[in-house]
Order: sequence, then structure tokens, then C-alpha cells
Amino acid sequence: MGKKIWLFIVVLLTTFLLAACGGGNSEESSSGDASETTADGATKIVAWAWDPNFNIAALNLASENYNGDTEIELEVIENAQDDIVQKLNTGLSSGTMKGMPNLVLIEDQRAQSFLQSYPDAFYPIGDYFNPEDFADYKLAPTSLEGEQYGLPFDTGATGFFYRTDYLEEAGYTHDDLVDLTWAEFVEIAKDVKEQTGHAMLALDPNDLGILRIMMQTTGTWYTTEDGTINLADNEPLKRALEHYKELMDNDLVKLVSDWSQYLAAFNSGDVASVPAGNWIAPSIEAEESQSGLWAVAPIPRLDMEGAVNASNHGGSSWYVLNIDGKEAAAEFLGNTFGSNVDFYQSLLTDVGAIGTYIPASEGDAYQFENEFFGGQKVIYDISQWMEEIPQVDYGMNTYGIEDIISAELQQYLNGKSLEDMLADAQAQAEAQFK
Amino acid sequence: MKKIKRFLIYLFLSIAAIVSIFPFLWMLISMTNKSVDVTGGRLIPGSHFLENLRNLFATVEIGTALMNSFIIAIITTILTLLIGSLAGYGFEIYRTKGKDMIFNILLLSMMIPFAAIMIPLYRFFGQVSSVAPAIGIDTLAAAILPTIITAFFIFFFRQNTKMFAKDLVEAGRIDGLSELGIFFRIYLPTMKTTYAAAAIIAFMNSWNNYLWPLVVLQSPENQTIPLLISNLGAGYTPDYGVIMTAIVIATLPTALVFFLMQRHFVAGMMGSVKG
Repeated sequence: MGKKIWLFIVVLLTTFLLAACGGGNSEESSSGDASETTADGATKIVAWAWDPNFNIAALNLASENYNGDTEIELEVIENAQDDIVQKLNTGLSSGTMKGMPNLVLIEDQRAQSFLQSYPDAFYPIGDYFNPEDFADYKLAPTSLEGEQYGLPFDTGATGFFYRTDYLEEAGYTHDDLVDLTWAEFVEIAKDVKEQTGHAMLALDPNDLGILRIMMQTTGTWYTTEDGTINLADNEPLKRALEHYKELMDNDLVKLVSDWSQYLAAFNSGDVASVPAGNWIAPSIEAEESQSGLWAVAPIPRLDMEGAVNASNHGGSSWYVLNIDGKEAAAEFLGNTFGSNVDFYQSLLTDVGAIGTYIPASEGDAYQFENEFFGGQKVIYDISQWMEEIPQVDYGMNTYGIEDIISAELQQYLNGKSLEDMLADAQAQAEAQFK
Repeated sequence: MKKIKRFLIYLFLSIAAIVSIFPFLWMLISMTNKSVDVTGGRLIPGSHFLENLRNLFATVEIGTALMNSFIIAIITTILTLLIGSLAGYGFEIYRTKGKDMIFNILLLSMMIPFAAIMIPLYRFFGQVSSVAPAIGIDTLAAAILPTIITAFFIFFFRQNTKMFAKDLVEAGRIDGLSELGIFFRIYLPTMKTTYAAAAIIAFMNSWNNYLWPLVVLQSPENQTIPLLISNLGAGYTPDYGVIMTAIVIATLPTALVFFLMQRHFVAGMMGSVKG
């Protein structure tokens, strides 16, 4: 018996040592080998991104539009977003920059955890473009301690996408749906259920995007600007949770368990609306038979002082890693995503990506009247709402805190009081992310 | 009474069979449907198979990925069988002081999750890259090397060697065979079923391996099948018809290996040896 315990301790120690070696010595980060010069003298830039129809298409288009001084050859490597997070975390925490790309796309809500965890891994690129040309709300997540590290890319500006036929049947016109509060949204949802029998929206209980959308209309988040966890006394979050519970209790939600079911809920005509980031539009348009039956209104706001009818859901930005080739990579970004208005027009018409570069929204492509949405200038409307989005600091632990809220939320729905629920969540989050 | 009992047993078995087969059936049906129909849960075969196939070949390099997966899986399987059986054989046949303690340490290493050693391993290969780029990060060799042997296979072979008639080793020695000769000419042929079972497990593990290849392989030309499928599902608007087609293609080799060796597999797992 004693022998076995002894063995067990040896193995535990070995595991600990092995795991510990990985963390240390990061100061000795050798320069990476991602960039090299090709035969014809061009600097080779490697980029990691996800979604071939969107982000990668955008990169390739940028490569075609690039006209800077340094000759650049861009190689885009496609990986799923979670895979990129995994690869970056492994590579950066191992301390060797081997195999790391020059350019990488990071979701805004994750950016701070990378910037703060790996301080020397990213290259500040504020000198290569003018950050003030970009939507305000994109700057806090992409910068750290006054240095601009990310070049803002797509907007997650939200819209309240709805079925005109269902809402009309319930007695609402477009004008009734503009500039709503979430309280009014819930009342409308009740009417829609009563008149048409359809649920107002689909929700995945594991994805609390809708809470973030509601909260950001007031410019608040799970954490404050100095990183303090802000759940127990977070008035906007309380309101958002109350609306969430009311939607659930009145059976106004179609529950789904994954992304494909979420898409199916509106493609099949089961739900009357989709309050989400504008990137959901192509998925709505995928069901061609519903052409002309959709429209989009500004996202409802929380009924509070200072709340606006604009919010954000997702969106990412480009980052340059601090390895050989960083200047060329930064120049590439500055020359394309950072300043080229014409490039943004083709980005919109060819790729369907709405950037956060404000001067671009005056271009022709933004005036496109979308027949699927009954001739509405969807892009133009969204770009207008985008400028209003309140800026928040997403902090380090958005998804970690959300896991805690997710678990507590079920107890709240089962009757636990809101104060208790948030106090418990606050205590848990503080214990976990000190 | 007996008939009712029989009926209930068959009813239960049929339900269990449907539950296990349904996902495969759904995968095959979805391969022929449009993405919108897949998410809508359509259960009737459609007419989009060729289109899905065309889109699949147009959007990703599935041929390259299949090739990489095959190279990795086959080399890994061969090395696993060779090293695992040599080690298992050695542990069981030879007497050494402290043999069991070393074996126990080996078994305990099965409890260390791969995620715990991944970062040091990556760092290690990062340093290897500077000296020997041919087996460094972003090479198939780097994807193969850390996975060629696990304590599980040594354990598996040792357990099965317990059934091996040790008199044969003595007989071999008397007849003047070298120790390696005994292993290759006597042990290996009599343990075919064990090898077959281990081959299936090793091949499937390697074929489906995700985390390490994901981290260590960067260029598209080194991508394996699981990575490719993960990428297909990563878009904001994934095409589920195409994904299902890719999954069917990815499933075929493992299904084939399994059906070809199924008989040996069952025999090998039961540990029966004819000899």
C-alpha cells in the first residue's frame, strides 16, 4: 500500500514539473520564422483567420487591393475560431514563437485576455493608421494601456430582424417597431404569440448573447473599466435578466440547443424575429422563399437613462504578432483595412462584410436596397446604428463569467430570487477570477 | 410466455439498434440535402449530393487532407504495434528487478491528460525546429512522433502476452533462435488477433486525433481530415450538406478498417489465442 502511494506522488510531481516547465522562460522568446522573403523579393506574410466566405475572403480581397511600398505575398491559413484560440494559447504560452503567424484575427471579447496574458507577443500598430477613423466602441477592446494593438475589422452592430407578415398579423407596422425598449419588445412578443402562435425568438440557454446585447445598450458589461467584477449591483444586467425570465415564463421563446437549430428556427418560419448581430443576415437570406418577408429595425434598448437603440454582438479585429515581418504586416493592414475607402466598398459588395471604418459608409455600396428585406437599405441603416454603439471594456473573462451566470440563470428561472442569484454569481466569479 | 419474452428481447434490441444506427443514417441522408434542409431536419434523401460533392472539392483540399491523415495513421499504427508489442512482450517474458514498479509508473502515466503536456511538448518541438526543421513544428513527423506509443498499448500487449504459451519461447531457445528471432518468428504469428485489435484501435485513435495535430500543424498542405472538418463548420453560415459529405468521406476508412478486421478485433479483445 505504502509503495503505491509513493509511486503516485512521484507521478504527480512529474506531471507538475512537466506542466510547470511550459509556463516559465517566456522572456526567452526566440524570433519566429513565419515571415521569410520569397524568391522574387516579396515579404511573405502568414495570416490565421476563420470563415472562408467572410474573414478569409476579406483578407484575400485586401491582398488584391494592397498597393504599399513593401512587396507582400499573403498566405491565409484557415482555422476554426476555437482552434485559433487553442493554437495561439499553446504557442504563446510555450514561449517559442515558432509556427506563429504574422497576422491573426481575434474576436473582440477575447482580445484583452490575449493582450494582457502575453504582453510582448503583440506588436503595437497605432502608427500605421488613424484609430479615430474607426467606430468608437471598437477601440477599447483592441487597445491596452494607451497602445493600439488591433485594427478594427467587422462590426457586430445589432439589428432587430423581424418577419413583416407575422408582425403585421399581430397588428404592428414598421414604425411601431422602431426605437423600442426591451419591455415593449416583450409585450409585442406576447401579442405575436397570441395572434399568430409563433414564438418571438429562438434562444440557446448556453449562449447568453442576448443578455450582452441588452446590457451594452446602456454601455455596461459584466466587469467595470478597471476590471472589477460587476454582477451584484449591475442594474442593466438585472433588467436584462428580468426580461429574459419574462420571455421564458410566458413561453415566448423557442429553445434550441445548437447553432444549426438556431438557424433552422427562423429558416423554417418558426420564430417571428431574430435580434442579433448583422452577420446573421446572410443566414436569414439563405431561405430564399422568405424573400420580401423580412425587415430590420434598430435593436430595442433597456428602459434606462442613457440607453441607446444600438448594441453589438460579436465582431473581430486584426492583430500583428511581434515576430519578423511585423512591419510589413502592419503596413499591409494600414494600407488596406486602415485607410482604403474603395476597398471597403468592394468588401461590402463582394464579401458582404461591414467594416467599422467610418469614412467608408458614405460610399455607394452602402446605399444598396436589399430586395430580400423589402427594398430596405439594410447596410446603410446598420452602419448608422454602428456609430451609436456605446463603448464598453470587455475585460479578460467575459466567457468565464458567462459560464457562471449560465448555471445561476437556471436557478433564477426555477424561482431563486434575482438578488440572491446575482450575489452568488458575484461571489463565484470573484473567487475564480481574482 | 416464452414467445412474449422473446418478442420483448427483440423489441429492445431493435430499438437499441435504431438508436445506434440513426446518426449514421441521418449523416448519409443529409449528405444528399441542401444546408437549409439539413438544419430543418429533413429525413428524405434529396438530390443535392453531386452539388455538395462539387462544393466540397471546390472549397477545400480534401485529397491532401486524406493523404496526410493516411500517412500519419499508417505510420503511427505500424510503429505503435512494433514498439507496443516489443515492450509488452519484454515486460511479460523477461524477469528483471523492479520490472513491476516501472510498469506501474507507466500505467500511472495514462492518467496524465494530454493537455497537461501539450505546452512543454510544443516548446520542445519549437526548439527541435531550430536544429532539425524536418521533424520540427509544422511537419507530419512532429504530428506522429509524440503519439506513436502510449502506456495503453504496452498494457494491452502485456495482458495478451499472459495468454501466450511461454514454453514456445523455451523451445525456440533450445532450437537456437535468437531472442528477436523468437519474437518475430514465433510470438508475432501466434498473436495475430491481438495485433489486429491493436491495429484497429491505433488506427482509429490516430485518424481521429485532433488536439495535437491542430496545435502542431500550421500549413494547409499538412492539414488532416479532422482539422478540415472543423474548419468547414467554422463559418458564420456553415453549409451542413457539404460538412456531412466530408464527414461521410472521413468515416469511410475507419469503417473499412473495422469491417475488414472485425472478426480479429472481437477475438483480440477477448484475449483468446490459438497456439
